[in-house]
Amino acid sequence: MAPSSTSNALLTAPNEPSTSIEDSAVSLSRVTRIFGVTPALVRVDLEVARGEVLLVRGPNGAGKSTLLGVLATTLAPTYGSGSVLGFALDRGRDQIRRRMELIGHHTRLYEDLTARENLRFWASLFGGDTSRVDPALEAVGLGPAGDDRVRGYSQGMRQRVAVARALLREPELLLLDEPYAGLDEEAKASVDGLIDETAARGATVVLATHDPTRGGAAGRTLYMDAGRIVPDPMAGGRAP
Amino acid sequence: MGVPTGERLMGKATARRGERILGWTSLVAVAVTLIMSLLVVPPDASQGNVQRLMYVHVPAAWLAYLSFFVVFVSSIAYLVTKRIRWDRLAAASAEAGVLFTALTIALGMLWGKPVWGAWWTWDPRLTTTAILLLLYIGYLAVRRLPESPARRARWAAVVGIVAFVDVPIVQLSVTWWRSLHQGPTVRLLGTSTIAPIMLTTLLIAVGAFTVLYCYLIVLRLRVGRLEERAVAEALSPRIGVPVADVMDAPGEEAVARG
Amino acid sequence: MTFVRQAGAIAAKDLRIEIRGRHGLGTVLPFAATLLIAFGLSIGPGRSLLQRTAPGLLWLAMLFASVLAFRRTYEAEGEDGALEGLVLAPIDKAAVFLGKAAAVAAQLVVLWVAVLLLVSALFDLSLGGDVAVVVAACLLGTVGLAAVGSLFGVLTESPRAREAVVPLLVLPLAVPVLLSGVKATSLALAGLGSQAGGWLGLLVAFDVVFLAAGTIVFEHLLED
Repeated sequence: MAPSSTSNALLTAPNEPSTSIEDSAVSLSRVTRIFGVTPALVRVDLEVARGEVLLVRGPNGAGKSTLLGVLATTLAPTYGSGSVLGFALDRGRDQIRRRMELIGHHTRLYEDLTARENLRFWASLFGGDTSRVDPALEAVGLGPAGDDRVRGYSQGMRQRVAVARALLREPELLLLDEPYAGLDEEAKASVDGLIDETAARGATVVLATHDPTRGGAAGRTLYMDAGRIVPDPMAGGRAP
Repeated sequence: MGVPTGERLMGKATARRGERILGWTSLVAVAVTLIMSLLVVPPDASQGNVQRLMYVHVPAAWLAYLSFFVVFVSSIAYLVTKRIRWDRLAAASAEAGVLFTALTIALGMLWGKPVWGAWWTWDPRLTTTAILLLLYIGYLAVRRLPESPARRARWAAVVGIVAFVDVPIVQLSVTWWRSLHQGPTVRLLGTSTIAPIMLTTLLIAVGAFTVLYCYLIVLRLRVGRLEERAVAEALSPRIGVPVADVMDAPGEEAVARG
Repeated sequence: MTFVRQAGAIAAKDLRIEIRGRHGLGTVLPFAATLLIAFGLSIGPGRSLLQRTAPGLLWLAMLFASVLAFRRTYEAEGEDGALEGLVLAPIDKAAVFLGKAAAVAAQLVVLWVAVLLLVSALFDLSLGGDVAVVVAACLLGTVGLAAVGSLFGVLTESPRAREAVVPLLVLPLAVPVLLSGVKATSLALAGLGSQAGGWLGLLVAFDVVFLAAGTIVFEHLLED
């Protein structure tokens, strides 16, 4: 598998494509995150080039969610520094947030509102253009159900609303943290469709998932364990 | 904090000596205060010996509010600079403040029972001090909530700032409320004139308790650092960050230092 | 998107959720009624005593019931982690504070009117006097409570926060609202509204201070 940027393959470590900072979607330097006394991320160095589709794998507690939280700016590093889409993690948060979409553990929906109302509210926070709400709901197959309250939705339907939310804008960075958990096949396909569409646009995708049947679109896989990035545990014979 | 080890060690030794001097000074000063207020000063003309409680009650009240002011200023300093030392100071001052506030109220009640015949008469200043005690308790309760030190510091700082800003408004409202039914208030003296020896004793008392406050703060900060050092020494090898940096920066300044 | 429109969007969203879910009606108002009945049972049944204490009981019930309203306003944010969504949106976090404060203030006004009617029924309080002052006390007092509650309601997000911390903070902080509200209301109902100017002024000062303070510090409660 070749890194997605032009570089001298002899000079780069197997897990690290060589990119200039300006080309990076993500650039983390010795990022460490501690919760209380528990280190969740330990000295993580990471470069992700624009347009890459990065798959992050690892056991429970490996730090995948924490890593995505740092990239999404919902978590601040305890030590270390980094930038996302060219903006610093500590000072450029609003700029990052404007260009990034996170599909995470929580669907971030308001139970008593309908899907349509949830999306319209989200759109209003980004400038008020609600014209893409209806097409987005149609695209994920929630057109007719769009006026029912989210409280009655299945997990699959909720995740499809999250996918529709990502379709409202064209984020330069799409982050997904275990998006497939508890979903039916239709909803999983919806998520995959979003990933493909985002990658086809040339935007960057970082996907963390347990699900071994998913992640085929990924160009590179990152393995994590105990808060660190580790070499491929399956290395020795199997191509990443 | 790239201070060479030699300088750090000497700094620590000087700090310990300074702390000891402070401790002995406050002990002596408080002892002098007690001697003067109990033995030297004559009893008040109308209140009698009970009035001697004022020589501790007044300084305690002064410190109750001074401590909160320190909490307020440190909280602002933390939010502005993000250096964890300000949060440590705020926490230490809050702990000292609770003690002085409780002491103020207890002495006020002890004084009130013989003088007014009642434990509590909703005196505006005592009532405000009681609310101050509740605010301190709320502040300390918030400090126990978050797991992350940076979040704890930030939440506590917000509470410290907002609560302090509220105190003058509380004071004003309670005073107005009380003034509608003029009742007995805490008076320093029964008579209207203050003898020089009484004034001197009072000033010594205020000074002594202020020194005591400083000693308590220094002591608490050192104990706090010991606790944090134990945690940092456990954490440091796991994350490859030097112990000193772990202790000094469980906050966002670490981001800048990388 | 301007600050005002951001705050407006958030206030509208909160009100729509409240109207849709009817939690105020379902929980907060019955709680206030329970409080009033408990007050009446513990103080009464002497009519004149109840009449005299009625404005105090009105505001006391408001204070306690409003804590439920503050928790509710952040419960909706907590159900699916929607609060994280507000953090992720590139909006001024102060707009979140003011929007939520506006929405909960509106709910508290409705609650206040309901409690006033209950109090006048249960404690034989005659409505009348200087209505303008009564209205002013209601509006200024509920805005002050809303500011305090919207600011510290965020603390319920902490897994350990649960029940005790928010009331422990809110009640002492809101003492000026309690005192001023009670005094202004009882003066107004007795037809002495002209004497309530100082109390109303105190409420205005409280509101300004807390709205300003909340606007400045809110993001520190929200961001990591």
